[in-house]
Amino acid sequence: MSEEEVIVGRESLWTKSGRKLLRDRAGVAAMVVVGIYGIIALLVSFGVIAQDWDKLGEEGFEGMSAAHWFGTNINGQDIFARALQGIKTAFQVGVVVAISATAIGGILGAIAGYFHRTIVDEVIMWIYGCIDAIPFYLFVAAVAFALKGAEFTVPVLDLHISLAPYAMHIAMIATFWSSTCRIVRGEVIKIRGLEYIQAAKAIGVGPLTIIRRHVMPNTSHLLLVQSTIAFVGAIKSEVILTFLGLGVKEGVSWGIMLSESINDVLRGHMGNFLGASGFLFVLVIAFNMFADALQDALDPKKVSG
Amino acid sequence: METLQYAIRKLIYAIPLLFGVTFLSFILMVHFGPDLTYSILPKSATQEQIEEIRAELGYDLPFLQRYGKFMKEVVTLDFGSSTSSGEKVSSILKKAVPVSFLVALPAFILANLLGILLALYAANHRGRFPDKAVMVLAAIGMSISYLMVVIAFQLIFCTSYGLNWFPVQGWVEPPPDYPDATAGEIFYYYWYYYWSYVAVPTLASIFVALGYNTRFFRAVIVEELNRDYVRTARAYGVRNRKIMMKHVLKNAMIPISTRIIITLPFVVIAGNLVVEKFFGIPGVGLVTYDAITNGDLPIVKAVVTCTAVLYVLALILTDIVYKIIDPRISYSK
Repeated sequence: MSEEEVIVGRESLWTKSGRKLLRDRAGVAAMVVVGIYGIIALLVSFGVIAQDWDKLGEEGFEGMSAAHWFGTNINGQDIFARALQGIKTAFQVGVVVAISATAIGGILGAIAGYFHRTIVDEVIMWIYGCIDAIPFYLFVAAVAFALKGAEFTVPVLDLHISLAPYAMHIAMIATFWSSTCRIVRGEVIKIRGLEYIQAAKAIGVGPLTIIRRHVMPNTSHLLLVQSTIAFVGAIKSEVILTFLGLGVKEGVSWGIMLSESINDVLRGHMGNFLGASGFLFVLVIAFNMFADALQDALDPKKVSG
Repeated sequence: METLQYAIRKLIYAIPLLFGVTFLSFILMVHFGPDLTYSILPKSATQEQIEEIRAELGYDLPFLQRYGKFMKEVVTLDFGSSTSSGEKVSSILKKAVPVSFLVALPAFILANLLGILLALYAANHRGRFPDKAVMVLAAIGMSISYLMVVIAFQLIFCTSYGLNWFPVQGWVEPPPDYPDATAGEIFYYYWYYYWSYVAVPTLASIFVALGYNTRFFRAVIVEELNRDYVRTARAYGVRNRKIMMKHVLKNAMIPISTRIIITLPFVVIAGNLVVEKFFGIPGVGLVTYDAITNGDLPIVKAVVTCTAVLYVLALILTDIVYKIIDPRISYSK
């Protein structure tokens, strides 16, 4: 380590980690790629680009051209626009699942860890033990069965929202929280023995306040890493679940494009397959690399190295 | 004696878990599950017939009695008949489980074996080029979707756009009935067709699993390499190969075999939905896929519950086996 990096004054884990992350070239490159995807997702959502993804063309299976960068699919729809729409769908699924699953896992993990060796801890461990025992794709199928025809009713507005299209999201959230919960619980078991928690207890701060104010902020680095992992998991699962008929049913997603491409490739039309898998692969590998870099940067044991 | 006590205690601790997984399956698929009355009955059913079938399916029972009925199905492994084909669920699964097993086994063994070898190789060259190369390849492998791999591999190995070595889809048929076929010839027939159908799914599954396996195994081995006994052994001048094989690998085998054993029920029972559906292999995966698309509840119910129960039992089994092979594990830990 060079001399200029001798730390002057107080520095938090976050600024230290931020500097470390910026030094990691692969991590920065991955972050830029994810950022570009994010911007495209926003532009698509706000209707700036790729709005003619479902416009039927005259001729199916066109090759690459200036008008259709990746050619067209069987219905003459522009594959490039569909792939861009796929980014929006992927981010929708990824963000919803990552945030919800990490939040649930983080809160339950902190509670379980804080009340370690009590019935609360046992119950939470029991719940995630049960959920982990059921294979993921079958769990999604089971949730889809349960939600067929189920409605979520907003009491005052008399709104009825059918839950069936969200079976995939609900099932992913219901399974993905368990790994976050396990990790946070382990960390909190370590934290709860520290002096500042004992001091808070001694001056009569309530357990829920301690968890909210003093325990949970110290697990936020884990939550950040876990949410990136959940994001990647959600995007990859969407593709498989859609192929199995359990995933996205409306709009377009990479899963829908890849499922369509199964018949296309056997007839020699690669557009759909290459378009969807190219975008999917780049996003997933960039996110994986970003998650790794983040994990290294946030690991206090490695900050000095 | 102590081991027996430990085993009994583990079994008692598994009871809430077994209760939980069956209860969860019950809630999702029976209590909130679809009403099967009208998919069983003919179109113009009388009110009496409706009542009768509802009583048979237990829809008129209170919650706890329905759960009891469900538990009886689980314990006796009798989940009724498929609503789409009318065949007994147990006989459907009896045919499908061996197929899934045969399809999944080569990939399962090879992916774990190759994963351990690559991980040993990477860990042995920790921080240097071979390690980095293996880890970059693992990261790429982890980032490719299963669906992409099966589509690409089918294209490469099974179609005239690629090598065209294997059939596109299907599964071994019983051999044609030649009266003078010897046992050797019949064996060769099965052997040949088994591999021609299983080769590409196996390659695809290895490709997908290898990245995850290598990364996990490497992390375990590197952790073991950082322990004091390794330094001591090096100080005594023990050769590297001996340290890696005799000490590090042996100790790393505990987390490694846990991972292998607990994924086994998923591989065998749940089958592999993607591969079996894609290559048209009539294993549990394809049976489940068809059941999901047709809304065939008894089959999905049976597969989900059996897998979950077997998973819990596998967890207990690993605990007990470790207690026997590793004297450091005690209950208090």
